[in-house]
Amino acid sequence: MPAPAEGVSAKSDMPQLLQMDLDIGDFCSDWSHCDLMSGYVARMVSHNRLDSVLFANLYSSALNELLETVFRVHGQTGTLQFSVQRQDNLDRVELVFPADDAIYGVYKDAVAKASHDNAETLYLEALFAETEPGPGLGLLELGVDYGARLSTDRHDDGRMCLIAELSLEGEKE
Amino acid sequence: MIAENAALAFAWSYNDNDQEFSLKGSLRPQKSDELSLCMSELEGSVAKVSGKFYVNVRRLVRMNNVAFHALACKILDLVRERADLSIHVTTSSVVGWATRKFAVLEAVSDKITVSEYDSEFYPGQTFLEEGGFIPILRTQTKLTWHHERTLLADHGLKPDMEVADICCGIGDFAVLLQKEYRPARLVALDHSRSSLDYARKVAGEFGVRGIDYVFGDASEMLLESDQFDFVTCRHSLQVFDRPELILRELFRICKPGGRVYVTNEKNSHCLGEPRAETIQKTYNEVARLWAHFNMDIELGPKSRRYLIEAGFDDIRMESFMVTNRDGNPQDFADIIQSWENVYAGQMAVQRGDSEEEIRALRKGFQDHIFAALHPKGYAGWPVWVASGRKPA
Ligand SMILES: C[S@@+](CC[C@H](N)C(=O)[O-])C[C@H]1O[C@@H](n2cnc3c(N)ncnc32)[C@H](O)[C@@H]1O
Repeated sequence: MPAPAEGVSAKSDMPQLLQMDLDIGDFCSDWSHCDLMSGYVARMVSHNRLDSVLFANLYSSALNELLETVFRVHGQTGTLQFSVQRQDNLDRVELVFPADDAIYGVYKDAVAKASHDNAETLYLEALFAETEPGPGLGLLELGVDYGARLSTDRHDDGRMCLIAELSLEGEKE
Repeated sequence: MIAENAALAFAWSYNDNDQEFSLKGSLRPQKSDELSLCMSELEGSVAKVSGKFYVNVRRLVRMNNVAFHALACKILDLVRERADLSIHVTTSSVVGWATRKFAVLEAVSDKITVSEYDSEFYPGQTFLEEGGFIPILRTQTKLTWHHERTLLADHGLKPDMEVADICCGIGDFAVLLQKEYRPARLVALDHSRSSLDYARKVAGEFGVRGIDYVFGDASEMLLESDQFDFVTCRHSLQVFDRPELILRELFRICKPGGRVYVTNEKNSHCLGEPRAETIQKTYNEVARLWAHFNMDIELGPKSRRYLIEAGFDDIRMESFMVTNRDGNPQDFADIIQSWENVYAGQMAVQRGDSEEEIRALRKGFQDHIFAALHPKGYAGWPVWVASGRKPA
């Protein structure tokens, strides 16, 4: 399970709080892993916040959407590397997981929508669509409701990186 | 009804009388059809009503977008199908994401309204939160600490424990406890944002670190079960119309073998010499005044019964008397003055007392102050302390 990681993330110079590596197949073997992991991590990173309980609840909700998205859309085999960083009130979640070009495209598209000027309209459209929501709904909500800054990155090793930057206590309680 | 697995531990219920469908727990399904039973019961409940239908999600702590999609679409369908129907969604301010998430429903239909449940939380909230209570609480705690400082140890508090102070108010008890007992963890919870802001400011100014001030509702806390060795709840059971609901939660968050510690008053037993009679009269009236607002300022001696009925064992109980001899008599007088300001100045006015009655009420407070400051006087305010063990 989690190795308390020292130092900074490869992708950002923010101090690392926590990192874990999991086999993507193991992670995706049970839906409840998303819930368990988001609850567990939220508790770990919430103790020194302004309001630990409120923070943990928000953090867990946001992280759960990211994990559920990866659960649904990911490449077949490889490692899921999960790490979280923090600088002051900015929290960063980084998920690196196997993805072919098509999967990478799905994420690029969803992140572009969530960052778009009319993200709110797109979110409402996705939310009230007749069909089951696509994988982008959670990311859209993170952009719209949580003010998350989302980004993606392509890795050479057949994996991709999904990053969310959140400022959960910045907003008014 | 209850559905249960790790990510999906939620329950729903329908209250015919209030036309209210309530959802609580954790709603993170993988597919929306995992909610189909709940959704069809929602639909069935709506079918029986006309006018306004209430959906209560105050106790819904976690919800993913699969569930939200299902619920939001269902609510929208329902108001679109039925011209006579409108739906109100009640959220909680304690669950950080809820109000914003549900607010989108208002944007898509003017037959859906969403609001946060907060006001009229407990009967006397406006008096206690907006009234001049902050200075009272500070002085009160200063004087009660004089007694509780050692009493707490008799009731089982030791250094390095995991401690929670529920209904912490402005948090000065937590600060004193932190300094004196060095707990391993100290969570202080209240439902007043202004009190918590104040508490954080004071702790910051005094360089006290490590107290976790948390916004929450004591009758339904987001804190997990079986976490704390020692749970305190001071002068607060007496402000709720249903103290047993709070005790149930104190019991839940306490570890088996841990203890819950409560203090409460019995104001009619406040006393003073000289002028004992008018003092007595006023405090008898204070008890009636609180009762008028469904609060029980006479609860102190009932704590033992409440603790036993909540399932605690090994009950320890005693009382102490805060007096004008505990320190500076002026401190005691200041407490009484602020009681007069809130009880006579606000509560009695709101109850509709006549000027005459209010004058009589004020008289006893002034006489109590007179006794406190009198060189040969004695003035007292009794407090009941009780604690119980959660069976291991
Ligand atoms: C009489 S004060 C006691 C405060 C503190 N324990 C003390 O002794 O100074 C009651 C406190 O209960 C808080 N309170 C009222 N309803 C609450 C609820 N539902 N959940 C948490 N706190 C609540 C109020 O905000 C207030 O601070």
